[in-house]
This record gives sequence, structure tokens and C-alpha cells, in this order.
Amino acid sequence: MVEVWNLIIGNPVLNVLVALSQILSGQFGLAIIALTVIVRLISWPLSKRQLKSSKAMQDMQPKLQELQKKYGKNQQKLQQETMKLYKEAGVNPLGCLWPMLIQLPIWIALYQAIMRALATTPENLLDLAQRLYSWDIVNQAIPLSSKFLWLDLGQPDPYLILAIIVGGTMWVQQKMTQAPSVDPRQQSTSRMMTMMMPLMFGFLTLMFPSGLALYWAVSNIIGIITQYFFTGGWGYLKFRSPFQST
Amino acid sequence: MGWSGTIIHEGIIYVGTLDGRVVAINSSTENIEWSYSIAPVTAPSGGFSCGGTSIPTAIYSTPVADKDMVYVGTYSGKVLALNTLARSQNLTFPHRGYSEWEWDCPIDNARSNAIVANLLVGEDDIYVSSSNGRVYSLDMEFGDLNWESEVLDKEHRKLWTSPVIQGNTLYTGTYDGHIYGLSLETGELANWSFESEAGFASSPVIYDDTIYVGSFDRYLYAVKIGTDVPIWKFPEETPAGNWFWASPVIKEGIICAGCLDGKLYAINTTTGKEIWSYMTKEQKDETSPVISLPVLMDNLLIVVNESGMVYVFDLNAELANEGMPWRTIPIGTAVRSSFCAQDGLVYIRDEENWIYAVDIDRGEVSWRIPLTTEE
Repeated sequence: MVEVWNLIIGNPVLNVLVALSQILSGQFGLAIIALTVIVRLISWPLSKRQLKSSKAMQDMQPKLQELQKKYGKNQQKLQQETMKLYKEAGVNPLGCLWPMLIQLPIWIALYQAIMRALATTPENLLDLAQRLYSWDIVNQAIPLSSKFLWLDLGQPDPYLILAIIVGGTMWVQQKMTQAPSVDPRQQSTSRMMTMMMPLMFGFLTLMFPSGLALYWAVSNIIGIITQYFFTGGWGYLKFRSPFQST
Repeated sequence: MGWSGTIIHEGIIYVGTLDGRVVAINSSTENIEWSYSIAPVTAPSGGFSCGGTSIPTAIYSTPVADKDMVYVGTYSGKVLALNTLARSQNLTFPHRGYSEWEWDCPIDNARSNAIVANLLVGEDDIYVSSSNGRVYSLDMEFGDLNWESEVLDKEHRKLWTSPVIQGNTLYTGTYDGHIYGLSLETGELANWSFESEAGFASSPVIYDDTIYVGSFDRYLYAVKIGTDVPIWKFPEETPAGNWFWASPVIKEGIICAGCLDGKLYAINTTTGKEIWSYMTKEQKDETSPVISLPVLMDNLLIVVNESGMVYVFDLNAELANEGMPWRTIPIGTAVRSSFCAQDGLVYIRDEENWIYAVDIDRGEVSWRIPLTTEE
């Protein structure tokens, strides 16, 4: 299983990352940013679907407000009618989670690739030798420099800067995409998720190599930009949920 | 560069382990004479986590011995001078009465001070290459710092390959593709340095005023000291299948280099032309990388690959000229560290922390003992 993983995902991600580093003047940080853009481009069809869904949700807000007024005292009916509305419009309120789940193997592969490429121990360096393709561009790039801006990409950021960027951008992106729910319990869960996820990733940034956190930050920023232009604004970030007034 | 290997000094085999022990084994009685565990180091933690972070005290460098003293560098950035008499009595370390000392490599600009490269023993001094990019000279008797070099590789820092001495100069290769010469007296940079496009992966070896060193671009370079252009690089055209990780050994104009592609190459030191090559295998006939340094014992060249196959080449015999081993001895265990040989026996530490004594004449393992039975 491990061999299959390395053959299909682990080693290709590692070699692409190393090759990108050579193309980008030996800047491993720039290679991570370039890989992030590539990953986002590959996952664009999926992201597009999610953005469409998000836009549709946004457009449905007036109708949802009407339902709230009409069935506000009967939660069960309100929920039924809301789900019916979602179904008619062909949207899934939890659809925004899929791109994150699909990115999970990429995160794992990238984490492994960063640790392998930067070779912080002799074992890592020897392991790297066994995984590199015989491409000239790859072999010319080794050994990689872990320095990028103020960061040592193989180590966690010693300051809070990257943690704040990762947490902040994740919060903004989630606020933009997270549609308000009619079910108070679901609403409370999604509100908690909107807070917990950025906090969790901010915390993880303090523990994981900053190269991985750099991927998270750039990925979030790309997500915010595409979301902004696709939906034509800040989405739910400026939208106040009608249910909060009750 | 690699994993702590064995040395033999006055009948005692010394070895370091990845769990931070220095072990002395009597080669005659096949018993552990003493074992010293280096205490783990606790460093302040970063982020929000509470308490300190325990830094592993792994030993990657092979110990060096001189008279009654054994010197070892650790991944936690220490150099220890252990007295064999004090250790066999299990006295508190460092015991000043037995000339023991401990030296902490400075953490330079928040960079790791890990010591991975083998220590180099000079006349009265020990030379230490650190992951912070500096070389240090220590007084062998007291452990006092004589000098520290400037940072030699600002980009990568890691000086994981061992230096070599010729005359009054110490030579070291760096990951950014330089070979620097340092004055043994002051640590100042010599007038000559060599710059290559690719970084150097193996520890350099000097023979006949020429430095031989493996590179990350899968070539082995021969660089005449004082010149700017390599005499040759091997292979001539297409690179080898992987890096030349282990330092080569040289005998009578023939350089023998093990490669991570599993091959052993015999090359003419003057021309850089291949004399012969031999693909080492594992027991299932798959290739296996050569990580350990080859060793010469009289006219015998001994090579061990990662799968634990011991190959013996008789350099005087016709067979060797055709690249055929005189003996092949499987020990059936993973080997990454360097090894030593004396009086027909080869002493190998495997990845499971066992010491194997391989009898070359009989072509079999003579004895083996675990390094974990005694403290």
C-alpha cells in the first residue's frame, strides 16, 4: 500500500517540487507556491462546482428569508422547506467541504515531499536519493536550500506570522463560502466550524514545517481570490444571516 | 557521512548507536567491555507547546580512538572524550582525573549544531564539522576551543561530510559545491578553493595531491589541489545511476568507489577511465545500494551493500581485473554504517544494532553479538 502511494502520489509530488525548485532559481519556497497554483488549477473543475453552488446559495438568500418569515415558528417545516429549496436549486450546503477533503492526500504528499526534499537527517537524505527520478533538472537541484523569506521551510515558523496568515485566510475563505442554515443546531455547528478550523490550522502551523503552512496560506489566498471574482464579491463574509436576528 | 561505524583499536571494537550509546567490545572475548549512554538534551520548545523538546542523542559519526581515549560527536551537538579505563569502571562522566571532557558545539544563529560527520584527529587536535556550517578545532587533551572557521556554506550550513588533512591544510567539501582549504593553525581560509556547479555528497579523499569526491549530480570528481578545473569526472558522459555517497578508497593508482546505484566502480586515478565495475545484489538478485565505505585489508577490497552482502575482491588476482569478487558472504541484515577490518575479520554493525565478525578466509560469520544486552 505504501509503495503504491509513493509510486502514484508521493514520488511524483516530490520530484515535481524539486524540479520546480530548480526552475525557480533554487527557491524552494517559490516551488511550493508554484505547486500550490498547479494543484489549484488541477482541482479547478471541482472548485468551480463548489463556487457555483456557493453562488446559488447566495442567490437563494431572499427566498430563505421568506421561508424564515413564513415557517419561523415551526422549525421542522422550515427545515423541510429549506431542504426542498436546496434540492430544487441543485445545491448542497456542505458542498464546500469536498474540495478540502480531496486536498487531504495532496497535503499528506506535500508534507512528505517537504520533509524528504529538505532532508533534515541523514536518513532523509538517503531516502531522497532512492526517490529522485534520473532527470537532470532534479539532480541539479539537490541539495535544496530551506531558506525562504524569514522561514526555514523544514521547521515551524518561530514567530506567529504564518499562523496568523493561515488562520486568518482560512477564516475569511470559510466565511465567504459558509451559507447560513435554517436549523439552529446546524447553524451553531457551522459557526463553530468557522471558528475552530482556522484556529486548528493556525495551531498546526506552529507545529508543522513552515513549507506545509506556506502551502495552506497560498491555497487559501487563491481560494479567496477565485471566490471573490467568481461570485462577484465577499459572499457571506458581509452577509448577515437572517436567522441571527431572531 | 552515514551511520556510526566500527573502529578497532588495541583489540577493542568501538561503535556508536542511534540511541546515543558508545559501546566497546573485546574482539577476543566477544564480550561488551563497557557501554556509555549519552544523556538526551532538552531544548526550549517553540510555539504554544509546554515544556522542553527532547533532542535525540543519536550518534552518526564513527568514534575515533587514540591511546586510552575514545572521541565521539553526537547529533545533539556534543563532542565527548571518553577514557576507556574510566568507562570500564562506570565512573561519573566526565572524570577529570582520567582526562575526560565534553564540549558543546555552539548553536549558531538558531541553526542546528548537530554533528553528523566523522571527527578528524590531528597531531594534538580534533577537528569537528557541524551542521551550523563551521569547522572547529579542539585541543585533544582538554577539549578547549582552538579556533572556529567562518560559516562555509551559508545556504545549507550542514557540514555532514568529514574533512581530510594534507600538510598544514584541512580540506572540506560543502553542499553548495565548494571545496575549501583551512589552515590547521588558525582555521583561516586558504588561498585556494574549488567551486563546482553541484554540491558534494561524499567526504573527500586525497591521493597524490588530488581530491576525489562524489557529487549530487551523480559524478565522481578528481580535483588537483590548486587548480580550478577538475582533472576528470566519472562517468565521462552519462551520470551514474545515483550518488557516490561513500568516500572511495585508493590503492596503487586505482580508485574504488561504491555508488547508491548498487555498483562498485574501479577507476584509473590518472585518466578517470573505468577499469571494471561490479553490480552488487541482494539475495533475491535485486540491486542494493552501497552506502558503507569500502575497506582495504592488504590486497583485499571489502565492500558491503545495504542488503548485507559482503563482497571481497582480491586486487592482485586476475579475477579482480575482470571485476569478479573472490568471495561473497551474505550476512542477511541491513548495513548502512562503515566497518573496519583486522587480521582477516571484518567488524560490521547492522541496522538492528548487532555486531558481526565476518571471517574472510572461511567466508562466514564468525560470531555476532547484540549491542543491547548490557549497559
